Amino acid sequence: MRGVAVQATPRSLKQGSERSPEGITQLGGIHVTDVVTADAAEAESATGDDERLSFQGVFQKLFIRPEIGAVLGATAIWTFFWAVSIPFGTAGGASNILDVSATLGIMAVAVAMLMIGGEFDLSSGAATGALGIVTLLLVRDVTGTAGGLGLHLLIALPLSFIVALALGWLNGTMVERTGLPSFIVTLATFFVLRGMKLGFAKLIVDQIQVGKMDDLKGENKGYEFFQKVFAYEWQRNDHQWALRDALYTGLVIVGLSLVVIAVYELHFKRKAQHNPIGMIMFVAGAALGVASVAILHLTDDTAGNWFGAIVGLAAMLIGFLGLGVWRYEMRGDRGTLKMPSDAVRSVGIGIVLIVLGVISAIVLDSDSNEQVLPLTTEQGLRAILFVGLSALGFVSLMVGVHQAGRVSRMSASAFTVGTAVIGLLMAFFVQSESESEKFRNEAFSIILVVSALALTWAIANYFFQNRGSSDIHIEHLGTRIAIAGLLIFLIGMLIRLLFTVDAEIEAGIAPAKYSVRILWFVAFTIACSWVLASTKFGSWVFAVGGNKQASRQVGVPAARTKTQLFMLVSVAAWLVGTLLAFRINTLQANTGNGLEFEYIIAAVVGGTMLTGGYGSTIGASIGAVIMAMSVLGIPNSNWNSDWRFVFLGAILLLAVIGNNFIKTKAENLR
Amino acid sequence: MSDALLELDNIGKFYGNIIALQGVTTEVNAGEVTCVLGDNGAGKSTFIKILAGVHKHDEGTFKLEGQGVNFDSPREALDVGIAAVYQDLAMVPLMSVWRNFFLGAEPTKGRWPIQWVEKRKAKEIAKEEMAKMGIDIRDTEQTVGTLSGGERQSVAIARAVYFGAKVLILDEPTSALGVKQSGVVLRYIVEAAKRGLGVIFITHNPAHAYPVGDRFLILNRGQSMGNFAKEEISQQELTSLMAGGAELEALQHELEQATTGNGS
Repeated sequence: MRGVAVQATPRSLKQGSERSPEGITQLGGIHVTDVVTADAAEAESATGDDERLSFQGVFQKLFIRPEIGAVLGATAIWTFFWAVSIPFGTAGGASNILDVSATLGIMAVAVAMLMIGGEFDLSSGAATGALGIVTLLLVRDVTGTAGGLGLHLLIALPLSFIVALALGWLNGTMVERTGLPSFIVTLATFFVLRGMKLGFAKLIVDQIQVGKMDDLKGENKGYEFFQKVFAYEWQRNDHQWALRDALYTGLVIVGLSLVVIAVYELHFKRKAQHNPIGMIMFVAGAALGVASVAILHLTDDTAGNWFGAIVGLAAMLIGFLGLGVWRYEMRGDRGTLKMPSDAVRSVGIGIVLIVLGVISAIVLDSDSNEQVLPLTTEQGLRAILFVGLSALGFVSLMVGVHQAGRVSRMSASAFTVGTAVIGLLMAFFVQSESESEKFRNEAFSIILVVSALALTWAIANYFFQNRGSSDIHIEHLGTRIAIAGLLIFLIGMLIRLLFTVDAEIEAGIAPAKYSVRILWFVAFTIACSWVLASTKFGSWVFAVGGNKQASRQVGVPAARTKTQLFMLVSVAAWLVGTLLAFRINTLQANTGNGLEFEYIIAAVVGGTMLTGGYGSTIGASIGAVIMAMSVLGIPNSNWNSDWRFVFLGAILLLAVIGNNFIKTKAENLR
Repeated sequence: MSDALLELDNIGKFYGNIIALQGVTTEVNAGEVTCVLGDNGAGKSTFIKILAGVHKHDEGTFKLEGQGVNFDSPREALDVGIAAVYQDLAMVPLMSVWRNFFLGAEPTKGRWPIQWVEKRKAKEIAKEEMAKMGIDIRDTEQTVGTLSGGERQSVAIARAVYFGAKVLILDEPTSALGVKQSGVVLRYIVEAAKRGLGVIFITHNPAHAYPVGDRFLILNRGQSMGNFAKEEISQQELTSLMAGGAELEALQHELEQATTGNGS
């Protein structure tokens, strides 16, 4: 403390003098005396003490999240299949992806938690089938040669739930008591379960399949109720909502705007006195945004759409720059425009790649189904080249922006503006590609909006000062706004996915149905994520996985925590088994065998470390979505689905390498 | 003598017929640093384990604030305010500073099963407590793995202090550190003592012990070589007593000069 106090005086003086020119031009120097109290000056000088601990900006923080790789991967894979195959972009495609993800994802989330706790469960796949079969055997009512207990579901389900808890407890206790690696112990459980499934199925019902759940129909055993709980299906075409498009567009725009506002709050430095002119600009921007959406919805011709888009761009610029003028400090030193050779090279490579992508899109025929390579048709190849090359090109452009940012703020802004302009040009190329003239055409509007946001971001970054120190309150507020924005955005997307409008029905849209299992998946993921992030138990899970000895020393009940994790996995297996039993009615004795590795892959793709102590449940659920996309995307693209496993292996390897790379990179940046 | 925080009289410990520790007498006062010095195998580890409740002593008396105690588990010792910071620090490198700080004793709100950790409060307390030790953690969300050895040590010390330790046992806190970092940790030790704790500082380096210590206990081969107040002994004498041999004295002397030249 003494050392700090001595240093405080010269540093705070220096900071004061650095600020004064800005202070005078901005606010007549008021904030220098008002804000920089003695405490703040001392705190700031103390933070300056250790130059190795630099402040982490919002993007850096985002990039050290374990799930970032999965999010980027899912976006890339979805875009890829969406470009190559037709059904991916539709509500039907979304419902299929989510349906396949659900059972995989519930298990992946539980397995990820166990893996964060430092253990594996190889019996988790076999357990899903086993617990479903237990339920079926408990409710089956066949007297004579083939057996069953004939219980009411209200009794049978809790009973099989208890069996699940016992199974998890057994796994956990055996691992803890023997001190053997869980890999070996649960491998043994896997074989035991596999044998028991076959053995008991043959013994009791004399077949290798157990069924049928829907025999209970009308038997007053609770089937009707539980069928709704576990296998209800929402038929999209039966639910029309005229307001859908207005609501969807509104919520998506409000949600995205909130996310952008949160990013601004987290990135820029607040000023002491708000500027009312900025607030007026911000409100005007919001009003213009509403006007632009209204124009886009009310007009159907090209001129109207052009007008709406221009109003939208103006709304974005005025609104977000207004936000900056209103709340954030101006930047003092912006540097001069320099062209570092590495940045120029990256941008050059990026432009060449994008041009190549565009050329391949022009040269190749977009309607030809002729087989050009063993794996793909001409239009498939065209889509792959166009999407792949331009994506690589934009990555290279972004690398260039990053490299320019090392030289000066001015250069970074200039390079970002360039990238945004190329993005805008790209949007118009995509638009000229599609038959639709409407600006609502999705790919076009997404690229347009993203480019426009990049443009405003470049300008805002040029004008306003970014934050240099952490502040718990700003971070809490920013994170909350961001989460609220994401939720509103997702609700908007959900409305679009769940409801249809007359026009779509008339156009003969394919029916889409959503199973209630998706809801179970989402609820389970949210519950587990909350537990992991916000409870004692969650902290302990990370602790026992990261350093079991240490966590024991400070009083964490390590053995109990691990056993509870094994029980969580078997409860998830019970849920999945029940969902399967109600969906397919008859379970085979080999149901679920071998799937345990897919759960582990999903968890690892989602950023969970194989060695424990690090990972994410949200990531695991996104990993499951990636797996589901590979299951569906390959046949949808008219490829032989045997190639799925090649794809899975490649994804696993890429994910591990990518996550590792991002992690070390992000940690070195600190 | 009677107002001492911790009082040890003729403490001994046997493993079967092996005498691990015998005839150890010392005291720890609030606001003072008691240094326990000894070479490898001198019985330092046995001594800490008795204090921290890992082992029970076999002879002598062990009094905490005048009451005779004999702990059954480390938890018991912790409950009465004796906290040990071991060499491996009991930290989880991949976890954030604040989670490590509160690990095993997270402040919660709500009732089971809806019970959550008060993150904001925990982060604020962690930052504040670290600041009191004279170290500014900019962001308590950063992982302990990214901290330097001295900073980790300070997190461990701050944690023990915050959770109501009256007696803080530091097991070789400087042994794995560079010269400069050792100086930083020695400052934390003084800081902790200033805040009214009784600190037991275990080390094999007299050059680290002498500047911060108020009382010195020297162990050699399980025997106490003496228990001195600072004014009763010089650093020279401390070093030679600890080495327990004239031929080692010369070597110790060399080492000591090298360390004091750069260090504290």
